[in-house]
Amino acid sequence: FRFKDSLAEDLQSADLVISHAGAGSCLETLEKGKPLIVVINDKLMDNHQLELAKQLHRDGCVLYCNCSTLVETLQSMDLSALKPFPLGQPEKFASFLDKVLGLQ
Amino acid sequence: TGGHTTEILRLLSCLSESYSPRYYVLADSDKMSEAKIRSFEQKRAETFSESQFSLDRIPRSREVRQSWISSVVTTLYSILYSLPLTYKRKPDLILCNGPGTCVPVCLSAFLLGLLRIKRTIIVYVESICRVETLSLSGKILYYFSDYFIVQWPNLKEKYPKSVYLGRIV
Repeated sequence: FRFKDSLAEDLQSADLVISHAGAGSCLETLEKGKPLIVVINDKLMDNHQLELAKQLHRDGCVLYCNCSTLVETLQSMDLSALKPFPLGQPEKFASFLDKVLGLQ
Repeated sequence: TGGHTTEILRLLSCLSESYSPRYYVLADSDKMSEAKIRSFEQKRAETFSESQFSLDRIPRSREVRQSWISSVVTTLYSILYSLPLTYKRKPDLILCNGPGTCVPVCLSAFLLGLLRIKRTIIVYVESICRVETLSLSGKILYYFSDYFIVQWPNLKEKYPKSVYLGRIV
């Protein structure tokens, strides 16, 4: 399929996800606790998507590669070495805002 | 737009009833965000009795990879277009997270503040995608916002006036 409103169902039933480095895709996948391989698009200039993918890789949460190294990555991957991804905490933001606006 | 909308709705998820009414400002070319917003507000209405919100649209200030010079022109046009909106709504707080749309809205609010018409608190949250560098909106609004929030420690080091709360989306 080219486009769906939500991938939640597909994600839930997947054992492995291979995705581009868009934040939404990465976060949604990691939050569902699915192993993720991020494929970087070399041809996209000024690719700031790279920053998040690199950081997630540094934190040991994802595997990453580009289109040409994908097969090799799939062959040599060790998914058990991937670390779980801690969830973001919007409540910290709410507390902060309440505090600075004097709404506590 | 897309990713920005998802992030900002997550930021809103823990806000109390005091943050009302909510005015969502979207680019006129944005087709997907409206559905996400309505769905969020609908869900919110299940928990909180009040659910006052509305959607306002403004012309898109900049297309992805638009040239620098034409961006300045279209942004100026968007600021002029935003002024009546900001003047009408006179928000106490503007919360934004980086789409081009937010720059003219914030700058128009900043202007109204300078003119002593309405003092709006501007809170900017840089996207979680931004680990090492700021977006263009971020680079501009770093100087115009009251609180500039980043989600990775690297950015806090580079931009000392920013606030780091860890990851919040």
